[in-house]
Amino acid sequence: MALPFSGRKDGLSLSEALPDRSLFILVAMMSFLAALTLTGATGARTLSSRWAGGAAQLLTIQVSDPDQPLAGTAKAEKNAQKSRADAVLADLATLPVGTQVHRLTQEELARLLTPWLGDAGKTALPLPAVIEVRLAEGQEAPTDLEKTLDTHVPGTVVEHNAEWSTRLRALAQSLLACAALALVTVGGIATMITALATKAGLSTRRDIIEILHGLGATDSYIAGRFAGRTGGLALGGGLLGTLLAMAPLLLLFRMAAPFSASTLQAATPAMPDWRTLPDLLPGDMLTGLAALPFVAAFIGWATTQVMVRIWLRRMP
Amino acid sequence: MIRLSNVSWRRERKANAPVLSNLSFSVPQGGFRWLLGPSGAGKTSLLSLLHVENLPSDGTLCLLDKDVTAQTPRSVLVRLRQRIGMVHQNFRLMPGLSVADNVALPLRLQYRPEDEITDEVQAILKWVGLGDRLDARASRLSGGEQQRTAIARAIVHRPGLILADEPTNALEEPQAHKLLDMFSELSSMGTTVIVATHNEALVRRLPRPALVLERGRLVQDGT
Ligand SMILES: Nc1ncnc2c1ncn2[C@@H]1O[C@H](COP(=O)(O)OP(=O)(O)OP(=O)(O)O)[C@@H](O)[C@H]1O
Ligand SMILES: [Mg+2]
Repeated sequence: MALPFSGRKDGLSLSEALPDRSLFILVAMMSFLAALTLTGATGARTLSSRWAGGAAQLLTIQVSDPDQPLAGTAKAEKNAQKSRADAVLADLATLPVGTQVHRLTQEELARLLTPWLGDAGKTALPLPAVIEVRLAEGQEAPTDLEKTLDTHVPGTVVEHNAEWSTRLRALAQSLLACAALALVTVGGIATMITALATKAGLSTRRDIIEILHGLGATDSYIAGRFAGRTGGLALGGGLLGTLLAMAPLLLLFRMAAPFSASTLQAATPAMPDWRTLPDLLPGDMLTGLAALPFVAAFIGWATTQVMVRIWLRRMP
Repeated sequence: MIRLSNVSWRRERKANAPVLSNLSFSVPQGGFRWLLGPSGAGKTSLLSLLHVENLPSDGTLCLLDKDVTAQTPRSVLVRLRQRIGMVHQNFRLMPGLSVADNVALPLRLQYRPEDEITDEVQAILKWVGLGDRLDARASRLSGGEQQRTAIARAIVHRPGLILADEPTNALEEPQAHKLLDMFSELSSMGTTVIVATHNEALVRRLPRPALVLERGRLVQDGT
């Protein structure tokens, strides 16, 4: 014979006792917002650390007419065989150990220029050699490097990124502060709305709390039952909101990927394949996103615990 | 065993007119008392004190050998409530739950085994004539059905004290008489029973001592 019981251990089908939908939807919307803000903040942090850290370490050197032989100075005959680019490379080899020097190949150069010049590999423009110098952590380029190179190989341009990296660092820091502020604000609002929605949902259920109390249910039992229910609802809403936020986030990250490459060699104008995208997302952002539904669940749970217990305290 | 001495109760701490004033009486374990008095006399209020929903403002109250004061630990009051069965004037069923789940609540709050609960609940609901309404939602019951569900819920866990507030006003006469017979039998088996009612015919049918309230004062203490 089929049992007429709900099957739940205590027969409290709170799903019917609590108005679900408003709490669920509100939490979903709040989590959506929080997920976007979290991503914005992570993006800002990634960019700013890349700018502030990376730019100072990076020099870009352009050598015009790279394949011309070095203009013969009287002294070294054998140097005359050397191209201008090779001469610069030879000079750069004297930089401290740990420095990475890389001359962009024709293909790399072409790929870099394609967005601007079209098929640059076939262009008639005389292209300079571009040499990327990545200094080891904490190293500074010798201050006279530019002068040395220019006297040795006239027409060599050193783009000293460090000069604007100071300003960039300030910009990055204010960006970071804004992102942190937004995160705190959205987090605060989300907390309050979740708490308020929980409160509103509970207030219509006061009679049930009183009935259970009258039947001899303990405070922790009643609070636990209701908190478990709202916690579960908030978890569901949080999951939905975070998942919904993933679509615009992935789109955003895919579009931003070409700009976040840390070296010119790695840079490609193409957007990454959808399948490789998860590897590009910062780990701490993924952790943050994964934590969101649980944070929402905790807020719902804790609010309910506190509220129900406050109500119960008014009864003997 | 119930004992009150000089119990007064105010709805709010500062309210000047107490709803109940200076009540003193006692009911031995297994005693049956009618609780009578005109509408507004304070019958429901007195039952709310005996059900530990409210605490006396003054005086001492002793229920099932436990003193009930503001200092009594909450855990003691909770266990006391579990040993009392109450039929509320307005039934107080859980609207979203089935008849069976409503009646099962007191047993489930005591963590009784589920198969035992099923047997007890089915038996008691059959007895009150709701054996075929186990699945019905409490919110879809007629007044009489709600009252019988409330009665079943108040006695299913065999409490030491049964408090019933107008338990027959939605019942037909044969059902009311059947209920009365059961209350009388439970009291002879050691359960203390207090029944508030306006129904004089019922009182005549079962002559037992009466507590009579008038404007919050006891004019007859049941001895
Ligand atoms: N919720 C309330 N707020 C304020 N006063 C109330 C409330 N409920 C009852 N009262 C008052 O308290 C007094 C006692 O009411 P109580 O319900 O105990 O009477 P009763 O004897 O049960 O009446 P009845 O036979 O009509 O059920 C009455 O004067 C009533 O007006
Ligand atoms: Mg009443």
